[in-house]
Amino acid sequence: MSDLEILEAAKAAVIAADEDAATKVARQAVAQGLDALKVINEGFTPGMREVGDLFERGTMFLPEVILASEAMVAAVGVLEESLPDKKKDGHVASIVLGTIEGDVHDIGKGILATLMRVYGFQVHDLGRDVPLTSFLEKVKQTGAGLVGSSALMTTTMVGQKALEKMLKDAGVRDQVKTMVGGAVVTQYWADRIGADAYAENAQEAVAKALELVGHDR
Amino acid sequence: MVSYPTRMGDGHPISMTRDQLMADIIAGSEHAADRGDIPTLDEGECDHLLGLFMNPARVVGVQPGNEIVLSHDIGTLHLTGDQANSGVGIPLSRVQAIQVHERAFAADTMELAHTDYSWKPVKPIIAMEQQELENALLSTIVPLFYGAMPNLGLYYAPDGPLGNPSDLLPKGKIKEALEAQELAVEQAVRDMVYCCGKIAEVGGDGINLDTTGAAGDADFKAALLAIEELKSKHPSTAIQVGMAGEFVLGLHGSLEYNGVRLAGLYPHQQVKLVEQAGGDIFGPVVNTDTGKSMAWNLSRAVTFVKACSEAAAIPIHVNLGMGVGGAPLFETPPIDSVSRATVAMVEIARVDGL
Amino acid sequence: MSLAHGAAAGMGGIRTAGDLVARMQLTRKMRIAEAKAYVADKLTLGVEELSDVTVMREVREDYDIGIVTSVPGCAKGIKAKMHIAELLDVNINSVNRMKERT
Repeated sequence: MSDLEILEAAKAAVIAADEDAATKVARQAVAQGLDALKVINEGFTPGMREVGDLFERGTMFLPEVILASEAMVAAVGVLEESLPDKKKDGHVASIVLGTIEGDVHDIGKGILATLMRVYGFQVHDLGRDVPLTSFLEKVKQTGAGLVGSSALMTTTMVGQKALEKMLKDAGVRDQVKTMVGGAVVTQYWADRIGADAYAENAQEAVAKALELVGHDR
Repeated sequence: MVSYPTRMGDGHPISMTRDQLMADIIAGSEHAADRGDIPTLDEGECDHLLGLFMNPARVVGVQPGNEIVLSHDIGTLHLTGDQANSGVGIPLSRVQAIQVHERAFAADTMELAHTDYSWKPVKPIIAMEQQELENALLSTIVPLFYGAMPNLGLYYAPDGPLGNPSDLLPKGKIKEALEAQELAVEQAVRDMVYCCGKIAEVGGDGINLDTTGAAGDADFKAALLAIEELKSKHPSTAIQVGMAGEFVLGLHGSLEYNGVRLAGLYPHQQVKLVEQAGGDIFGPVVNTDTGKSMAWNLSRAVTFVKACSEAAAIPIHVNLGMGVGGAPLFETPPIDSVSRATVAMVEIARVDGL
Repeated sequence: MSLAHGAAAGMGGIRTAGDLVARMQLTRKMRIAEAKAYVADKLTLGVEELSDVTVMREVREDYDIGIVTSVPGCAKGIKAKMHIAELLDVNINSVNRMKERT
């Protein structure tokens, strides 16, 4: 296989959510002495980006996205063996995620947690109906650089404002970037409460999170 | 350059020139056409939309003869409910709330609903709901629906006995997540058939399965199976299906109805399955993007709903309210925006009701 | 919201023939044009008159199918629906149930 063919095969394996094919391509790349980072950045990562786009368009579904991410993780594992520094903790950044206390809607937040893992974030998913203090405790415990909160009701979105204040009062607001989302949340609301980012959907949230941590998509 | 007052998708006022409006109208329609694989609006329809945005009137309306039927999902909760369901907290009885809609708000149909607005919590109190509906049916004239959501989320932990796919999927427990959803379909169908059957027994005119698909493709499948069974048992009870979003979210991904994969279906495809199941009225939903203008959002919504209306053999009652159908995402959407969205849905998308 | 929809495009409920047209959608799955034509035919009216309060006020009184201003002596509630079922030749579940029990 030519170098280009390997990169194309890597991309196709991820899109097809085919773990066997993905690891086979990775081994082939190592055998041919290709630069592992190039295979990740120009083969597997564009494949994962395409998966994210297909999900956003409603033509690829959550279980398939997860299988695709597992295929990529397995392939990257093979490639990492050939990296000189064998960098094991390859997380883009760490995020604390949760749905605000009083709000039991967690489907969108769950999708976001999945996509963020797919894009290499370490996700601390606190679940739904999460007391504000739990966000703060998790940030302190993990040193996460991002905090994402979701609210689907006008009665719970006020918790996002309170969370901003709580992080500030605890002296950790400057150490984190905050993101807000959920059906009733808007950019206007994010600006008003001082959040660092708002996203309309999970795919956009990933893009904004990558921006916030200074990572190219 | 003359500019016209309009709004962003979150309701905030902006102004746009004629060219900016038209550019957003075309872009919004193209976005829908690309996503749904459906036709864009034609030049005349884009001009019609542009005319609505350039019209200086605060409120616009359809031409006489083009009026449509109004149904009221969430029904009584508009008056008695709390902020979470955009209610205004008036301490009325639900029968009074129905009468107010019939007598004062010119409602063509009305809906009785319980605060929890999901079939599962309605089940243990169904006798109370029957009693309330019987009282309302005696004293009112307009057709009365009873409405609630399939809400499969309530069958998953911690509210229900099944594992929560939102927890299982991110952990890679795909098999367990799929099984939980399949079991939830069975339990939800059983609850819906039981509750709706009780509503039919006391003479309700219709059932509204509202916000269908909120918990993904399993949610939609449960609704379709429930409709089938209900129509075989209670053929004279009308069933309206209101959707939760513009495409069916694939949380399971492999569920089918009559050989059609449910995940990823758009309104013009959803309605055909509702028809096959026996549904009588379909309520498509198109979500508003708060970061785009109302011209973009309304054009996009109308493009989707027009394709749905053209595909449909049953009446289409488009969802048009807070953050859906081209209306801004705001608790009390501005009347200028709502009336423009209403006219566009009637005169371009050719809906049969709202 | 209901008021905005009503003002912009609503048929008018029991002020006009909104409930009657709605019944045809519920009972026969009729699209709006067919439903209006059916009701107009039954009432021997033009389709545009179905949404005209000045026309429908009298028509509703003549057929005794319920009037929004609650005129004393005129049919209300289930009684008005009994007349509507006959007039439109449709099943109304609550009316059938009442008949079965009386």
